[in-house]
Amino acid sequence: MDNGTSNSASENETITLKSCDGIEFHIDARIANRYTLLNNWNGGESACIPNVNGKVLEKVLEWCEHHINDPQLNCGDDDSRRRNTIIEEWDENFLSCDQDMLFEIILAANYLEIKPLLDLGCKTVANMMKSKSPEEIRSAFNIDNDYTPEEEEQFRKENEWAEDY
Amino acid sequence: MVFPDEILLETFKHIQTDYRSLFSCLLVNRQWCKIIVPILWSEPIKHVDDKRLIKIYLSELNAKEQASLIPFNIFLPNYPKPLFDYASYTTTVGFHLTDGILSWLNNEGLGEIIYDIIETEVEFAIKCSLISMFLRKNEKLKHLEIKGNINMMILEGLRINNTVTYLDLLFD
Repeated sequence: MDNGTSNSASENETITLKSCDGIEFHIDARIANRYTLLNNWNGGESACIPNVNGKVLEKVLEWCEHHINDPQLNCGDDDSRRRNTIIEEWDENFLSCDQDMLFEIILAANYLEIKPLLDLGCKTVANMMKSKSPEEIRSAFNIDNDYTPEEEEQFRKENEWAEDY
Repeated sequence: MVFPDEILLETFKHIQTDYRSLFSCLLVNRQWCKIIVPILWSEPIKHVDDKRLIKIYLSELNAKEQASLIPFNIFLPNYPKPLFDYASYTTTVGFHLTDGILSWLNNEGLGEIIYDIIETEVEFAIKCSLISMFLRKNEKLKHLEIKGNINMMILEGLRINNTVTYLDLLFD
């Protein structure tokens, strides 16, 4: 299914991508057709994808391959369908990797403009934030608190109405 | 782990109506706070009629809007200046506003009872001041629903405001 993209590719065509640390991947050309940015690095010889290493690219491409027959969302389908935190089982297993890898995948999906994977990664992180205290979130994501105690207290007061909804 | 702003924004959008979680995230650090405040304060009046929310909005009234409340002996919240101009992020003000005002009034807003002033008049005055304030901010407000009468201050606000694209007036 090529979903009407102009330069459709048949099932057997492959393209070659190279990660920033020089690992080559031969992928179904239909994947590159769906995510146009991947096409930019087709060729392998000298071109490589900056900022994305082989380990991460392998995961990203594994995801793309699994979802190759998904219907493509139009921009108009945007919010309501995407803005929830429901995740399919395969995707959930796919992203139950260590946290560093999860963040690398999100960054790569953002960089490569693979929107559904970016959404999925962000949903996963959002789920990890749900129903936690600020302190629990900081320690889950290893984040420093840069508020002064007074400032934190004032923000708490000004926004405390939100806590009950 | 430091997340880029754009990724955080995408992430928070998935919990944009889960206010409790957003509240926790807001207190994580300054970067998160800056991204969450516009989300949290975008349309709280659609979902929430909490007196604490109304209190913060009341603390953003200017002198003119406050002055119109003087005859009613209302105790306006004596807050330090809020850390953000929260009302400027509000995109939707719905009929729920009245419920929030009543909840605030019944809990702490009214001073010594003035017998010849009935509650609806007080509520009307507060509603008009708050709506004028939202219109005056003139930044993000798009959707405005007003139940009951309006006054000159609101009319003046509507005249100068150029952000509202949906206006629903429901007269009694």
